[in-house]
Amino acid sequence: MSNLSLPNKPVDWFRNTITLAIAVAVIWSLIGLEIKWERLIDLPGDLYVIGTLMFGEMNIEDFPDLVGAMWESISIAWVGTLIAALFAIPLSFLAAENLVGRPLAWLIRQVFNLLRAIPEVILAVALIPIFGLTPLTGVLAIGIGSIGTLGKLFYEVIEAIKKEPLEAADAVGANKLVRFRWGVVPQVMPEMASFVLYRFEVNIRASAVMGLIGAGGIGNDVAQALRFNDWSVAGMGMLIVIFGTITVDAISGAARKQIIRGSSAKSLTPVEVQA
Amino acid sequence: MQASELKIPKKPGLRGSVMFSISFAFVLTIVTMITVEFSLLEIIENFTRPNMVVDGLLSPDLTQIFSERSRSAFLETLQLAILGTVSGGGLSLLMAFWATDFGNPIGWLRVVVRNFNNVIRSIPDLLWALLFVTAVGVGILPGLLALFFFSMAVVTKLTSDTLDGIDQGPIEAARASGSGQLSMLRMAVLPQILPSYASFLLYGFELNLRASAVLGLVGAGGIGSRIEFFRGRLEWSEVWGLVLMFFLVVFLVERLSVTIRRRLV
Amino acid sequence: MITFRNVSVEYRPGEKALDDINLEIQEGEFVVIVGLSGAGKSTLIRTINNLVPITDGELQVDGNSVGDLSRSGVRKLRSRIGMIFQGFNLVDRATVIQNVLMGRVYKLPTWRNVFGAYPKKDKQIAAKALNRVDLLEKAHSRATDLSGGQRQRVGIARALSQEPRVILADEPVASLDPPTSHAVMQHLQKINRDLGITTIVNLHFLDLATAYGDRIIGLRGGKVVFDGKGSECTPEIFEGIYGRSLTAEDTLQEDI
Ligand SMILES: Nc1ncnc2c1ncn2[C@@H]1O[C@H](COP(=O)(O)OP(=O)(O)OP(=O)(O)O)[C@@H](O)[C@H]1O
Ligand SMILES: [Mg+2]
Repeated sequence: MSNLSLPNKPVDWFRNTITLAIAVAVIWSLIGLEIKWERLIDLPGDLYVIGTLMFGEMNIEDFPDLVGAMWESISIAWVGTLIAALFAIPLSFLAAENLVGRPLAWLIRQVFNLLRAIPEVILAVALIPIFGLTPLTGVLAIGIGSIGTLGKLFYEVIEAIKKEPLEAADAVGANKLVRFRWGVVPQVMPEMASFVLYRFEVNIRASAVMGLIGAGGIGNDVAQALRFNDWSVAGMGMLIVIFGTITVDAISGAARKQIIRGSSAKSLTPVEVQA
Repeated sequence: MQASELKIPKKPGLRGSVMFSISFAFVLTIVTMITVEFSLLEIIENFTRPNMVVDGLLSPDLTQIFSERSRSAFLETLQLAILGTVSGGGLSLLMAFWATDFGNPIGWLRVVVRNFNNVIRSIPDLLWALLFVTAVGVGILPGLLALFFFSMAVVTKLTSDTLDGIDQGPIEAARASGSGQLSMLRMAVLPQILPSYASFLLYGFELNLRASAVLGLVGAGGIGSRIEFFRGRLEWSEVWGLVLMFFLVVFLVERLSVTIRRRLV
Repeated sequence: MITFRNVSVEYRPGEKALDDINLEIQEGEFVVIVGLSGAGKSTLIRTINNLVPITDGELQVDGNSVGDLSRSGVRKLRSRIGMIFQGFNLVDRATVIQNVLMGRVYKLPTWRNVFGAYPKKDKQIAAKALNRVDLLEKAHSRATDLSGGQRQRVGIARALSQEPRVILADEPVASLDPPTSHAVMQHLQKINRDLGITTIVNLHFLDLATAYGDRIIGLRGGKVVFDGKGSECTPEIFEGIYGRSLTAEDTLQEDI
C-alpha cells in the first residue's frame, strides 16, 4: 500500500516566539547573575543544622509572646483589609463602565493599577519614618496596598451584574439611588464580601513579614531572633506563622464557602490569576 | 363582607449562622483595632505633618535607575525573577501531578505532597529570603532560593486546582490502550492544562518580579538593596525614584503578561 | 478469541453487576450487546480489557487469562484492544493527529511519547487510520473544532492506530444524531469486514442493533438472556430482553 502523506503541519508562530523568548531570557539570566552555585552544595547541610537548632528544642516560655505577636499580625491584616475595602468599594463603583462614564472609569482603574503594583512592604518602608515602628504602619501599608487589588476585583463583579433587576427598577420609575440600592447592591454583596475575606488571607502573609522591617507583628520577633541567633524562638515563631496562616485560611475559606453558597456568584476564588 | 386588614406573615429573623457571623466580624474588628492601637487622629496628624518621605515622593529622582549601580541591581532583579520562576514553576508541574490521584497512585505520598505544599505556601516570600540569608549568607543566592520556593508553592496550588477539574475521559482512553503512567500524563493530561499552566507561570513571574524588589530589604539582592541603601541615607527622592521607575516596569510587564495570558487560555 | 466462563463481577460485595456469564466470541465477529440501563453492558465490555476486574470465573482473551495477568501483561493486552467511548474521550486541546497517535503509546518508548518524537512508521499508521475514517485532511485541526460525528471518527482512528485484534465500543453513538449515528456504525462495520477485527458494540437502540449486529447478545440484570443472530431478533425477543413493552425511545428512528 502506498504511503499516505499527512497535510503540512501549520507553524505556530505564537508558540515558537514564546519558547524562544523564554530560552533567551533564561540563558541571559544564568550568565548575568553571578551566583555562587557552589554554596548550594552546603545548603542542605546548613539547612539541616539550622533546622535542628530551630526546631530541636523549644522553650514553652516563648509561646505566649509569639502567639501574641501572631495575633498582632492577624489584627494588622484584618484592620488593613477593612480599610482597603472601605476605600475600594466606593471607588470601584466609579470604575465600573456600566455605571459611570468611560473616562472616569479609566482614570480610577489606573489608580488601582498603580496601587496594585507596589508591594505592601515598600509602602511600609515609606510609612515607617512617618508612623514609627508601630503596628499602625503595617495596617496602613496593607490598607493602601490592597485598595488596588480589591478595587479591581470589585469593579469586575459590578460589571458582571445582571441587567434585569436594573430594568425592573427602571420600569417602576425608580430614581438613581433606589435603582442602585435594589438593582446593584444585592447582586454584588456576596462576592464582594467573599473577596474581602480572600484578600484578608493574602494579607496575613503580607503582615507576617511587615515585622521583618519593623512594622509590627510576628515578623519582628522572628527577624530579631534570627539576627541574634536565638534559634529556638525563630523556630517556634516560624511554626506559629505556618500554623496561624493555615488556620486562618481554613476558617476564612469556610466562611467564603458559606457566603457564596446560595448566591449567584460563579467562583469561590477571584480569578485574579486569569487577569 | 368587610375586608379585614391583611396580616403580613411575620418576617423571618436572620438565620442564626448569619447573625453569628456578623457579630463575630464586628467583635473581631473591635478587638483587632485595639490590638493595633488604631487611631484615626494619629493617622490624620501624622499625614498632615510635613515630612521628608512625602517631600521625596513629590520630587522623585527618576533618573536614579539609570545610574550604573541601580541599573545593574535592576537587571539583577529581573534575572532573579526569571530564574526563580522557571525553576520553581517547572518543579511545580511535577508537584501538582504528585498531588492528584491519577498522577500519583500512592495515597499517603499524595497526602504528604499536599501538606508539604500547604506549609510552603503559608511562608511569605520575605520570610523565605530571611531564612536563606541566614543559611547561606547575604547575596543573590538566598534571593533566588526564596523566589524558587515562593513561586513553586503558588504555581503548584493553582495547577493542582486545575488538574482537579480536567476531563478524565482521555485518561481512561490512554489507560485502555495500554499506556504507562508517564506517557498518560504527557499525552492525556498535559495538553489539557498546558495553557492554564503557562498562564500560571506568567502570573508567578509577575509575583516574583514584585517580590524580588523587596528581597534586598533583608539582604537578598536585587533592586531592594538599592532602595534599602538610599533609605538608610534618608534620601527619599532616590527611594521614590527607584520605586516609581521599577513599578512602571512591573506595570508594563504585567500588561504584556496579561495580553499573552489572554491569548493562551 | 474471547471466552467467558462463569464470569461474575461485583462492584460491592453481594451486588452482582455481571452474574455467571458464559460466552464464546469468535475472531472477526461483529457483536452487539443490548440491554436496559444498568443491565451490565459497560461492565461486560470493560472486563475484556480489564478496566473492570472480574470477581469470579475465567475470562480468556486472545489466549490470555485476563484475571491472572501481571500489570505489564494487562498493558500489553490492552494495547491489542482498541476502545471507543460514548463521550469520545479525546484530548480536546490537542490536534486530531496527536489524539490518533495516542493509539501508538504502548508500542513506543516513553521518551518518544513524552517528547512527541514519533517515528515515520507510526505516523504512517496514524495517517492510514485517519484516512480510513475519511479525516486525513483534518489531521492538524484541534479536536474541539470538529463535529460530534467527526470526533467519534477520531476516536475510531485512535483505536485503529493500535492495530488492534479487538475493538470495544461502549455506546459509541449515544451522543450523536441519527444520520451521524449511521455513518459511525457503517465505519465500524466496514472496518470489521475489511480488517477482520473482532468488534463488540454496546447499543441501546434496537433498530441500530439489528441493522449492524451480526450477532446480538441481550443482557438483563447482569445475565445473558439472549444470544443469537441479529436477523433473528424480533421485537418480541427485545421485549423479553427488556422485560417490558417497547417504546419510541428504544429506537433511533421514531417509526416503530
Ligand atoms: N464504578 C461502579 N461502582 C459501583 N457500581 C457500579 C459501577 N459501575 C457500574 N455499577 C453498577 O453495576 C451495574 C451495571 O452497570 P453498567 O454500567 O455495566 O450498566 P450498563 O448496562 O452499561 O448501563 P447504561 O446503559 O446506563 O450505561 C449497575 O447496577 C451499576 O449501578
Ligand atoms: Mg453503560
